[in-house]
Amino acid sequence: MSIALAPTGALSRPAGDALAAQRRTMLAFLVWGFSALMIGAAIGPLQALNYGGINVYPALAPVLQTYYQGLTIHGVLNAYIFTFFVTCGLLIYLPARELGLAPNMLLWRSCFGLMAAGTLMLLYAMFDNSSSVLWTFYPPLKGSPFFYFGMTLVVLGSLLPLPILLDMRARWKARRPGEVTPLVTYMSTTTMLMWGLAGGGAAIELIVQLDPWSAGLVDTIDPIVGRTLFWWTGHPIVYFWLMPAYVSWYGLLSKQCGGKLVSDPMARLTFALLLVFSLPVGSHHQFTDPGFSPVWRGILTALTLSVALPSLITAFTIGLSLEYSGRLAGGRGVLGWFTALPWRNPSVAAQVLAMVTFIFGGAGGIVNGSWELNNIVHNTTWIPGHFHITVGTASALTFMGVAFWMMPHLTGRKLLSRRLALVAAWLWFGGMSVFALGMHWAGLHGVPRRAWVSFLPQTVYDRFYGDAHFPLTMVAVGGIVLWLATFCFYVVFLGSLFTRRLSTPVPIPFAQAFGGAESYSLDGGEPIGIVAHRHLSPLAKALEQLGLITAFTAVATAAAYVPIFWPFVNNITRAQGWSVW
Amino acid sequence: MSDIAGRPGFEDAFHKAAERHERAWVFVTLVMLMGILACTMYFVVYDYGVVVRTAAYRSDPTALGGPAPGVVPAADAGLVKTGPNAYAVHMVAHMWGWTPSPLHIPEGATVTFYVTSIDVLHGFEVKGTTINVTAVPGITGEVTYMFKHAGTLDIICNEYCGIEHQAMLGRIIVDPKPPA
Ligand SMILES: [Cu+2]
Repeated sequence: MSIALAPTGALSRPAGDALAAQRRTMLAFLVWGFSALMIGAAIGPLQALNYGGINVYPALAPVLQTYYQGLTIHGVLNAYIFTFFVTCGLLIYLPARELGLAPNMLLWRSCFGLMAAGTLMLLYAMFDNSSSVLWTFYPPLKGSPFFYFGMTLVVLGSLLPLPILLDMRARWKARRPGEVTPLVTYMSTTTMLMWGLAGGGAAIELIVQLDPWSAGLVDTIDPIVGRTLFWWTGHPIVYFWLMPAYVSWYGLLSKQCGGKLVSDPMARLTFALLLVFSLPVGSHHQFTDPGFSPVWRGILTALTLSVALPSLITAFTIGLSLEYSGRLAGGRGVLGWFTALPWRNPSVAAQVLAMVTFIFGGAGGIVNGSWELNNIVHNTTWIPGHFHITVGTASALTFMGVAFWMMPHLTGRKLLSRRLALVAAWLWFGGMSVFALGMHWAGLHGVPRRAWVSFLPQTVYDRFYGDAHFPLTMVAVGGIVLWLATFCFYVVFLGSLFTRRLSTPVPIPFAQAFGGAESYSLDGGEPIGIVAHRHLSPLAKALEQLGLITAFTAVATAAAYVPIFWPFVNNITRAQGWSVW
Repeated sequence: MSDIAGRPGFEDAFHKAAERHERAWVFVTLVMLMGILACTMYFVVYDYGVVVRTAAYRSDPTALGGPAPGVVPAADAGLVKTGPNAYAVHMVAHMWGWTPSPLHIPEGATVTFYVTSIDVLHGFEVKGTTINVTAVPGITGEVTYMFKHAGTLDIICNEYCGIEHQAMLGRIIVDPKPPA
């Protein structure tokens, strides 16, 4: 325990009130985010029924007028609002507790305020059916100004955690010269640096193109420029969804399983690689778009496969950490360690199931990134099948698992029901597996994504999609199971706001790394930050140069995008807007 | 250091083995990814026709104009013969249909599709083939595909384009070769 220092006078512990304020703010982020998911996930199964050939929209007429309106609400609330709120909460709260420092509360609350205002504008624009443009909002489809300005606020708000983290890290480093940043703070800062660079695309698209256009200041818009700016953000956003889940897997889960993280430097390497590789590859979502050179498509393929490396390292390191925990718990043999994990703990069960799903998600991602294989699956149901087991399970189910320990931690109240929480996690895992298998499979039959196929005359539906009847039935069945999962989860989540008070506080389960110190936490109050090897790993030390890594990534991103944008800006298209839903 | 009573030896041994296996894993992973990359590139070269190329840009998406010099046939020209067994067609996506459709193609023909849109984004997917092109307003994309077997193929719009998106369907009929 050579590193653990006693707090000095200058580093007085934050007052109890300060911690209470942090907990309240974190709870607000968590509840707002999960409320968005509640609406989004309630609508989702309607879309699954659509693919099964069941058109329920006529019965929902005043609330939801079309499949496309519901799909827009589902995508925006789940992909942006839910993930952004949970992430912008967690990635400030956890580092603050790890470092024992107070975050800049004004900025943190502004982050919440901007995103909440944006959410309300988006909800207004989506529920009045003025903006059924789906979550990708490709121009020249044209929604209402409320949609684009609301989205602008959400994006700008989501960037505010970056300065908060940089400030906390700088304060910590000033007090601990020569040491490496504690792991959870390192991972959070890297995630936000990545997002700081990634958010540029959407911010430019919204502020330069869509906001003035929707407000009537300009008449026309260039669709391919908008689409390319969108994917500049739209690919790395995948990692903005995933990296917070990795923060929990690396930073917390091994403790929850009763073990240790086997490699702290590998966790850092993973995050640094994700920062570098996720940025320049966005246009691999545009393999089927005309307008830029095939040479770039080849380079994008190579870069895209490189993104798989950090995730494969994660699979190894986390798998090994779980194995260590399982063996400590008495697990024997090849798979005994896996069954010996604390499966009765819903937080652990949810996160381990999320990981299992992600193995398949990662494999599918390699297909999507592989240029010509992409031709077979592009814009078929394969794609939403893929991201429902990545963001929709690896991230969402992990966040649910985090909520299972965090709600009692924040409120000081008991989790409503451990059993029901377990049921929710398993139903989500099972429902999503059936749903996603059906979606991938139907995609191979060429069934297009985002299509109101149940509205087609039965003969047309059968003629075009009859060959995919079985997988499409799986989609519908999976959707119904997910409805049950959602119901169970929200009974637990919302119910836990009103349960009886616990006598002892629930600590944050910060993990300890092999050879690492138990705590960096300066406040001595609530334990316990991690980590870092006692003998400073040269790799961890090199990876402290986050400024250099970010600058390199910025240059690489610019180098990747200049040749793609070049023909577009030399051949401007002036397209008028269309509101056609 | 060990807070798990009586297990210091286990942790050390596990840690050492972990570091060894970690290096092996990273190596295997890199080899696997390079293998996948090589296979991917092989397929691209093998079936280069369906890689989307760029044929033309225009400032006003609605103005299709006449044939571009030497390349893109006029929008209303239908299937144009460009060589022995080689054809070209200007496929225009619009809300909510495809022109020309149905499109008759002789069996065994190699057809170059020039795909564009005059309004919003659409997606040109021919079910059961590897043809998949985004129809972008203002840009004409180009892919080439050989139709080896007679039969009927479905064209599906796979990029959301408004309320009738699901009904934006078309048809390609590959006519059998007349018996020689
Ligand atoms: Cu269309």
